[in-house]
Amino acid sequence: MNKELEHQFVTNLEKHQNIAHKICRIYTNDQESHNDLFQEITIQLWKAYPKFRGDSKFSTWMYRVALNTAITLYRKKKRSIRTQDYDSVHFKIKAEAYDDEAERHLKLMYDAIKQLNDIDKALVFLYLEDKNYAEISYTLGITEVNARVKMNRVKTKLKNIINP
Amino acid sequence: MDDLDLLKKDWKKQEHSLPRLSYDEIYKMIWKRSSSIVKWIFVISIVEFLLGAVLNIFLADEEYWQQMEKYNLTEFTIIVYIVSYLITFYFIYKFYKNYRRISTTDSASLLMKNILKTRKTVKYYIGFILISSGVVFLITLFLMLRNHAITAETPNTDMTFDFTQWLIFIGGTLLVLAVLLGVIWLIYRVVYGILLRRLLKNYKELKKLEMD
Repeated sequence: MNKELEHQFVTNLEKHQNIAHKICRIYTNDQESHNDLFQEITIQLWKAYPKFRGDSKFSTWMYRVALNTAITLYRKKKRSIRTQDYDSVHFKIKAEAYDDEAERHLKLMYDAIKQLNDIDKALVFLYLEDKNYAEISYTLGITEVNARVKMNRVKTKLKNIINP
Repeated sequence: MDDLDLLKKDWKKQEHSLPRLSYDEIYKMIWKRSSSIVKWIFVISIVEFLLGAVLNIFLADEEYWQQMEKYNLTEFTIIVYIVSYLITFYFIYKFYKNYRRISTTDSASLLMKNILKTRKTVKYYIGFILISSGVVFLITLFLMLRNHAITAETPNTDMTFDFTQWLIFIGGTLLVLAVLLGVIWLIYRVVYGILLRRLLKNYKELKKLEMD
């Protein structure tokens, strides 16, 4: 590992760190876990970086490794439940942009996403990130048709959670 | 408009409220130690392999060999040892190869599959240890008894078993053996159950569609 590679990697990650932060927001419930997961993602990205050949975009590659870390590799530590005080700041919705009704609805949506399983969370995340089905299929390792079917099921699931 | 599309709009707005780490903070992070599940599985598997080897060496002290000599089992024991070491080395080789194959650059589905494959190798190894321990134990016992029957000089009536006593003796031995192996198996299940529960669930979730 030479200095040049380190510099290249850290520069890339600094630029694209939002991807990792957003994954942490979907998969964790408090600031401490957010930081833990972010750190594990960073370590896994760095470990895999020598294999990154640059034939795909750094961000595309990063989605894959970072989601793999969140879904498969990350070991959640047992923490006391403090979701309540975190939730209010976690998905901070700019108050001026919405009336109360819309804001309440968005909060409901975010809460519903938190109740999904790890795979469904990944699908919602990639959807919110505007990824097409080809990219979703590449990241998760399922066919595009399956990704499409699964996405529709997740949408139904979310609807059922919000309007039981 | 779709609920999720509404959310998508909001999702894009959050960019400026995300935490922002500096170059130095990220640089420091890349040297931190990972606590990923793969690492845990790797460490525990190595401990398992070592435990098997250490147990073998530890149990086979001089006294043990003298005993085997006494019962004419030296050859049998040596053969058992050679075979079991060969098989153990084969497992270690397989395990290492599987472990090398695990890569976070693969798709989520392939990554999970490779981790589970690694686990399966160790699972087979544990199965091999349990079954071979049981079989070797029984064969040794059988050979010892046979040897004893042949070499016993004067049959002492007080020391011979009648049918019921034999039944109790064999039954008792099997019971102890079963409990012992059962406990090892249980510990094994608990350790990996905790570690793999989430991975298995996610893998099944991902594979469910293909079987639909």
